[in-house]
Amino acid sequence: MNPILIGIIGLLVMIIIFLSKMPVAYVMAMIGFIGFSIMVSMKGGLSIISRDIYDVFSAYGLTTIPLFVLMGQLAFNAGISRRLYDATNKYLGSTRGGLAMATVSACTAFGAVCGSSPATAATMATVGLPEMKRYGYDDQLATGSVASGGGLGMIMPPSVVLIIYGVLTEQSIGKLFVAGIVPAIVVTILFIITIYIWCSYAPDQGPSGEKYSWKEKILSLGKLSETLIVFVLVMGGMFIGIFTPTEAAAVGSFGVLVVSVLRRQLTWEAFWNSLYETLRTSCMVMMLIAGATLFGKFFAVTRIPFEIASFVGSLDLPSYLIMGIVILIYFCGGCFMDALAFVTLTIPIFYPVVSSLGYDPIWFGVIVVMVTEMGVITPPVGINVYVVFGVARNVIGEVPLESIFKGIFPFLIAVAVGIIILTVFPQLVLFLPNIMY
Amino acid sequence: MKLISSISEILKKIGGVCLAGMMFVTCADVIGRFFGYPILGSVEIVSILATCAIGMGLAFTHETDGHVGVEIIVRLLPKKTQTIISVCTNFLSICLFAILTWRMLVYAGTLRRSGEVSMNLRLPEFLVVYVMSFCLLIFTIMIIKDMIININKLRSK
Repeated sequence: MNPILIGIIGLLVMIIIFLSKMPVAYVMAMIGFIGFSIMVSMKGGLSIISRDIYDVFSAYGLTTIPLFVLMGQLAFNAGISRRLYDATNKYLGSTRGGLAMATVSACTAFGAVCGSSPATAATMATVGLPEMKRYGYDDQLATGSVASGGGLGMIMPPSVVLIIYGVLTEQSIGKLFVAGIVPAIVVTILFIITIYIWCSYAPDQGPSGEKYSWKEKILSLGKLSETLIVFVLVMGGMFIGIFTPTEAAAVGSFGVLVVSVLRRQLTWEAFWNSLYETLRTSCMVMMLIAGATLFGKFFAVTRIPFEIASFVGSLDLPSYLIMGIVILIYFCGGCFMDALAFVTLTIPIFYPVVSSLGYDPIWFGVIVVMVTEMGVITPPVGINVYVVFGVARNVIGEVPLESIFKGIFPFLIAVAVGIIILTVFPQLVLFLPNIMY
Repeated sequence: MKLISSISEILKKIGGVCLAGMMFVTCADVIGRFFGYPILGSVEIVSILATCAIGMGLAFTHETDGHVGVEIIVRLLPKKTQTIISVCTNFLSICLFAILTWRMLVYAGTLRRSGEVSMNLRLPEFLVVYVMSFCLLIFTIMIIKDMIININKLRSK
């Protein structure tokens, strides 16, 4: 049978099984194994299934993932988010919509030590929502800003999606991280502008908060110190090349651990919970990578990725239009599937296309994360929205899901504007990694 | 079945310790290197700890529904249909991981016979593959347990 036909059948069967709620990682591994066995030989399939999965689990390069996840979990359990929020609130809280702006800024700061978007959304919702409720903020603005701000945790390095992208495309994780800093700041500013415009049209939805003296403002900077130190240590170490990403992650986790213990913010129980939660997330991510590796092997022997790449390359369309279509596919995919799973599944397909068009792989990685950020807040599978919904129920009372989804809409436009800005000015993404060691 | 849950619980704890170990070993290596005394073979130790951590977390991750799946269609279906679909997906998962357990065991045997050891510390890698195979076995039994529970659910209706 035609290899391409086998590949397409495999893809269709995979999509059908996906709909049964079977874990995406298992389905990719299964289809990859069966497909490879059909295409090459049963012996070949049986041989790669154990070897590939073991190779993924034992790859030193991938140890970055559990260690960065651990850093985020420790920060999450040690209550660093409260201190970050206190500091940003002192500066922004007194303006109209200021508490929402403070929440978004604190999300970015928390993202500097945490690579997961739902974790950022959960921790900032716990801290930010009660405060916004107290000042009479509209539920849509409050929950929308937290859910969208949570996504910043993913764009701001360290970012799990960027690590996976780096591994799958063999790009430097250090460079990808450094490239993510400016885009995260751009999106944060766009979010703040969005809140400003929102509150200009509906001032009663985001009233001003308390005013603080300059003395209080300056003193509050101390609350940013531990996050700043860890971030500078981790990113700076990678930037000048004294740490590998794994070492940076380990030093960062250890740094957060030491600070939290010294401040007596981390109990034994919280420490163990951080370890278990890290284990759970890491297993999920590593299984996804293992599944994607097996599926990628099968897909490569069908030659579909190369055929798509050469077909797209031969199209007489402007490259930005093709890029636009790729971004649209990521956006739509992210709406229906977990963002991380979608990225691992599609990178082997789209990466050859994008590189054949001459786009910079580092830039594309950052754009993928930005689009994924849109995916985590859009219905029906916007994980951040469900996380904020769950937290809101506990801290401020039930907020209908529809309200949260309505609330994220303006922020969605802001991310789209961000993507356009970074597409028009790719230097914003690339100038930092280009001056790296 | 209780035995499997308690083994999974123990594996989870060891997995957590391995994770913490990865952090401490890497940090010690970085600090040691700063003073001119890096830890010999730290990369190997960390890779082994990571492999063990992930292997030992597999059953726990499955147990706590940690893997991501596409739920949008299934959750619209009646409960009974959902359970029937779960039985089918459980069955597919069992087949996949039973094969993987078996192949991991074969792979460990191949490595043992070839006498392959790690580069710096000369650690026998096949032992880690045996551990992985054991973890996969527990994980597979865990999914079998899930399937039995789902079948019983269907029967009781």
